[in-house]
Amino acid sequence: MLSLTHYLGLGAVLFSISVFGIFMNRKNLIVMLMAIELMLLAVNMNFVAFSQFMGDLHGQIFVFFILTVAAAESAIGLAILVVLFRNLRSVEVEQLDSLKG
Amino acid sequence: MTLALFYLFAAILVLAALRVVTARNPVHAALSLVLCFFTAAMLWMLIKAEFLAISLVLIYVGAVMVLFLFVVMMLDINFESLRKGFWRFFPVAGTVAAIMLGEMLLVLTSRYANLSAARLPEPAAGFNSAKALGKLLYTEYFLPFQLAAVLLLVGMIAAIALTHRQRKNTKFQDPADQVAVKAADRVVVLKMEAEKPAHAETDTTHTGEKA
Amino acid sequence: MSWTQLNLAVATPEIFLLVAALIVLLSDIFLNERNKSIAYGLTLAALAGTAYLLLQSAGQSPRPGFNGMFIADPLSQAAKFGMVIGVALMLVYGRSYARLRGIFRGELFALSLFALLGMMVMASGANFVTLYIGLELLSLSLYALVAMQRNNVHATEAAMKYFVLGALASGLLLYGMSMVYGATGALDIPTISQRITVHGANNLLAIFGLVFIVTGIGFKLGAVPFHMWVPDVYDGAPTLLTQLIGSAPKLAAFAFTFRLLAEALAGYKPDWSSMLTILAVLSLVVGNVAAIAQTRLKRMLAYSTISHMGFLLLGFMAGTRDGYAASFFYAMSYMLTAAASFGMIMLLSGKDFEADQIADFKGLAKRDPWFAAMMLIVMFSMAGIPVFVGFFAKFAVLKAVISTGAIWLAVLAVACSLIGAFYYLRVVKVMYFDEPENQAPIAAAPDSRILLSVNCLLLLLLGLLPDRLLTVLTEAVQRSMLP
Repeated sequence: MLSLTHYLGLGAVLFSISVFGIFMNRKNLIVMLMAIELMLLAVNMNFVAFSQFMGDLHGQIFVFFILTVAAAESAIGLAILVVLFRNLRSVEVEQLDSLKG
Repeated sequence: MTLALFYLFAAILVLAALRVVTARNPVHAALSLVLCFFTAAMLWMLIKAEFLAISLVLIYVGAVMVLFLFVVMMLDINFESLRKGFWRFFPVAGTVAAIMLGEMLLVLTSRYANLSAARLPEPAAGFNSAKALGKLLYTEYFLPFQLAAVLLLVGMIAAIALTHRQRKNTKFQDPADQVAVKAADRVVVLKMEAEKPAHAETDTTHTGEKA
Repeated sequence: MSWTQLNLAVATPEIFLLVAALIVLLSDIFLNERNKSIAYGLTLAALAGTAYLLLQSAGQSPRPGFNGMFIADPLSQAAKFGMVIGVALMLVYGRSYARLRGIFRGELFALSLFALLGMMVMASGANFVTLYIGLELLSLSLYALVAMQRNNVHATEAAMKYFVLGALASGLLLYGMSMVYGATGALDIPTISQRITVHGANNLLAIFGLVFIVTGIGFKLGAVPFHMWVPDVYDGAPTLLTQLIGSAPKLAAFAFTFRLLAEALAGYKPDWSSMLTILAVLSLVVGNVAAIAQTRLKRMLAYSTISHMGFLLLGFMAGTRDGYAASFFYAMSYMLTAAASFGMIMLLSGKDFEADQIADFKGLAKRDPWFAAMMLIVMFSMAGIPVFVGFFAKFAVLKAVISTGAIWLAVLAVACSLIGAFYYLRVVKVMYFDEPENQAPIAAAPDSRILLSVNCLLLLLLGLLPDRLLTVLTEAVQRSMLP
């Protein structure tokens, strides 16, 4: 029988993959942004599961807002990436070292 | 049956997610992420959250991922150099993620969390999740709804302010100017003799367009 | 539900600010490069109007609005007033700095106002959804603002780092919120609090969520070990925006933490209190020790922020009314001090020149004795030397810590402040005992000179008479705490 644990477990797996992705792609900013989207998906998975299993719609509303914010957030993230790329001609995080002091 | 479907979709989702973070090519990563969102939408369908499932596909696949793909393709990225030393971080990243996952699963599956007892409540007859959500969104969540609109505006301003480049020599149409034009500005009708007298100076050179 | 139930009046300052921000944004379309001062004047007028509306509602008891999504209580109104001041100081100090760097644009004004709106919503959010939207409104505006100077490699790098770490922090915070939601079945803060203390929630799940929430807050505040973005962002961002990041949002973060920990999760006080202790101790030690090694003033101030956030968390960790009030006082005084310190950097900066090295302050006493004295006040206040406001802020926090019986924590905090005094005094030494490298007189507009002087003298005045402000803030906390 499908239970809440299944969904929360899946959320935890997605969350860990996302953290793994952020660690692994320290050089590649685009994939890093995608890993952050995965993290938000994990959160949304939790909210939807809790909301449905508790029969309370408020969690789903929160998901709706997270989706909206994520859209705006990725727009700004990609805009910064484009500006950075024009400056550096690269999207490698390792080249982001002009600030080390 | 639903359990089998859950495991099928969950397996696809996890594999696709792993693909996202390890793919050689960002385009593949982006496409794997699209697959992630589709299967996640399917999983939400399984627990009858159909409205959010559809929203997820529309917002993420329709808008966010297209933006990602657009940026990946627009920027001229050297994929090879990005991959250099990729697996160097694996021991640390893998250990951290594995420990984290183990701990999270331990908490979530523990007896004290008492989660496996919850059953999916049957929705009342005629329940419409889109309608119920809409009602909540426009009444109780009026303030966050308005603020979300402001947030999208901020996203728009920021994206334009950061990436828009003014071109000095742009040719453009000015609708106001076009509308304000009168017939008299465009065409000048001159009356003249069919045959001009040989001695007189002509004045016909002014019939050109003014605008 | 009807229209009157919304009780829109509680959010009058926010609604006014939003409309004003939109007017500023629209006015920018009709203004050419030379007339940007009109948009600037409108922005300052918007801030003045918001401050006026906030003062109008001062002293009223907590009023909920928007179906429980929003609450205007004395704590939030006081915090908002401080935020408005913080943003206004940024705009005044940074006017010529921004103009010289080509970011004196409508977007700067509009995004600053939207960031302020986000902060105000964070202070007044009575629901996880509102708090989250407010936080993102602030963060997204700040990411964009940091990257505004598009051809500046450092600034865009700083923006990218800020963005990645900020998005990660939001993800952690949300994961924590989802667990708390699962444990209590509510997103509404009073309900969550009630379910935890009265009805008993799923404790394991809630504490599991709490860990993520505290981590997220730690990231946002820049507490060790989640501080790695702070020095890079402070250093890389244009000083104008360093000032914005370093001043008003600390007040918003205080109010946000208050809502989440002291209100919603009050039932788990022992748990979050011990987590905050770890963050506070690490921040105090790492912040102060790392600051000594810095030669760049902005980086030094970044590490000093980390240590100040340690103090802020220390007051929080006490978990008493006086503890929160001490934290609040600390945030308020730190906002003024940080604004003045970055204002000084901008005062000395010129076109293509950033006074962001400690060496740039060499011999300031000979170049301009008045502003050297002002900088002296700022540094003394940060170091926590008596008669300056920083001392009383630290003193109030330590008193709250000692009242909980954690004497060792108080001793450690004092020891760390003593280490901290070293690098602040080094700046003073450089100003008074070194020969100036640059003899040029300071060229700055009279308005920013006067305001900066007032700001610095306020640090002294509040240090001499701290009781008034402390009483107001204590009362605000007292009246805003959930019953």
